[in-house]
Amino acid sequence: MKPLDETTVLDALRQVVDPELNCNLVDLGLVYSTEIRDGHVRVVMTLTTAGCPMHESLVEGVRTALRALDGVREVTVEVVWDPPWSPAMMTPEGRARLGLA
Amino acid sequence: MAGVLALVGSVVLLGVRPDILAAYHYNQYTVAATHLWVLGFLGSVAMGAMYQLVPVALETRLHSERLAAWHFVLHLVGVAGMVWMFWRWDLKQVGHFGSALAAGVALFLYNLGRTLRTVPRWNVVATGITAALAWLGLTVLAGLAIAAAKCTYESLETLPPGHWLRWPLIALQATAHWLGRFDPLAVMHAHAHLGGVGFFLMLIVAVSLKLLPMFALSELQSPRRAGAALGLLNLGLAALVVTLTGRSRFQFVAGGVLATGLILYGLELRAILRARQRRGLDWGLRHFLVALGLLAPTALLGLLLAWPGLPATLLTTQLETVYGWLGLAGVVSLTVLGFLYKIVPFQVWYHTYARHVGRFRVPALADLYSERLQKVSLGLVLAGVLGGALAAALASTGGVRVAVLVLALGLGVFVTNLGLMLRHFWRPRLEPLAPPRAAPASVSRT
Repeated sequence: MKPLDETTVLDALRQVVDPELNCNLVDLGLVYSTEIRDGHVRVVMTLTTAGCPMHESLVEGVRTALRALDGVREVTVEVVWDPPWSPAMMTPEGRARLGLA
Repeated sequence: MAGVLALVGSVVLLGVRPDILAAYHYNQYTVAATHLWVLGFLGSVAMGAMYQLVPVALETRLHSERLAAWHFVLHLVGVAGMVWMFWRWDLKQVGHFGSALAAGVALFLYNLGRTLRTVPRWNVVATGITAALAWLGLTVLAGLAIAAAKCTYESLETLPPGHWLRWPLIALQATAHWLGRFDPLAVMHAHAHLGGVGFFLMLIVAVSLKLLPMFALSELQSPRRAGAALGLLNLGLAALVVTLTGRSRFQFVAGGVLATGLILYGLELRAILRARQRRGLDWGLRHFLVALGLLAPTALLGLLLAWPGLPATLLTTQLETVYGWLGLAGVVSLTVLGFLYKIVPFQVWYHTYARHVGRFRVPALADLYSERLQKVSLGLVLAGVLGGALAAALASTGGVRVAVLVLALGLGVFVTNLGLMLRHFWRPRLEPLAPPRAAPASVSRT
């Protein structure tokens, strides 16, 4: 059984892909922070734009992906708009995937 | 789907009666085919998309889905009946079916009006959408008034005094008398501009100021410039409608104000694209950019036709048809086809895959259709539109037939691509999640 740590959580979040940009949430830079405490995982994240039509699907996808991890008892997802997302927050992998300038 | 069916129907009508484009446009067949294209295709898709896009673009929720469903029923009955009755040139029945359509539009305006009241942050996009809705209301009222002006009210002689129908009929007769003071062709042109520029173009301008930055990973560069563009478009259109109706020589000036608004809009779009982070643009967006490319010659042709004292010759009257064709079949239709590549995949994805996110590997939106078919379809539709414009200018029925054939082929490819997307409803493509990979954590640690 893999330990429940940040790497495991981020790996799980890499399974959730924004279907419009075809890139996972971590490499898009949408995950601002994660916190793991006694089986409770808290994710603070954003979306590429306020009013994103994928909002509910992606947030639910995050919950589903994390609940599937061993040792996770509860998941809290907080969507924030400050700081607003910008492409500068993407990882080099994400930028390469989208062919960003 | 109703919109796409209407588009196919319109193209079939053009193939059966090429004189719709090749002969002078003030005839029952051109009017019927135009309404099938504009209300059946463009109107159905645009209004259906607004129920989805306005809440997304303005970060709010639609006021009522139930009203939207009633609107859809009234819209279908209204459009089908109007087109049929235009074809038979029975204007009284056009008025009756037009009233059903107008009732649907009233529900639409009420529903979106209530939705707009809940917008948390009012901006240039909300202003543009509100303006487009206002122009739509005026377009429908003008259309009903034009139909009323072409009817006779002999039943007023036979109805007993005090009958409930007398007052509506008296109001319609008064409208007909008032409108009778104007040139019917000029009034029809004003009606066409109210709908084409006021609703469709205004909507394209407003929505693109939100969606283009969203899809290209950019930002609105100058809200002031975008606001000025919208202001000039509205001012120019108001002046154009008045000057067209009165056959004033100042319609060229009004057209100039409109064109200035379009130039500012074009400059803002160029700035948005230059600041974009996403280098490659998908073919849905490229449809929109091609449509914008057609906007320039369409606007120039419009200015030429508004030139004071331009004689009405076979060429200039055919150029009026070319102007309408380029505007509606080119600018607006290509934009709508492009945005369908955004709307349809999202709808299919949302209903088929959204609940599986995080559980299975689901396809991206771009995986739902073929990019190759997109390119072929765009090329053929563009060739058909340009060929149709040339054939209309030359008043050539043979040329129109060839152009319509090319257009139909392009639409056939588009419908095939649509089928590829819809196939996911019945044959979803779900794959197991990829095994976790070793990657460095790249977010803030807590």
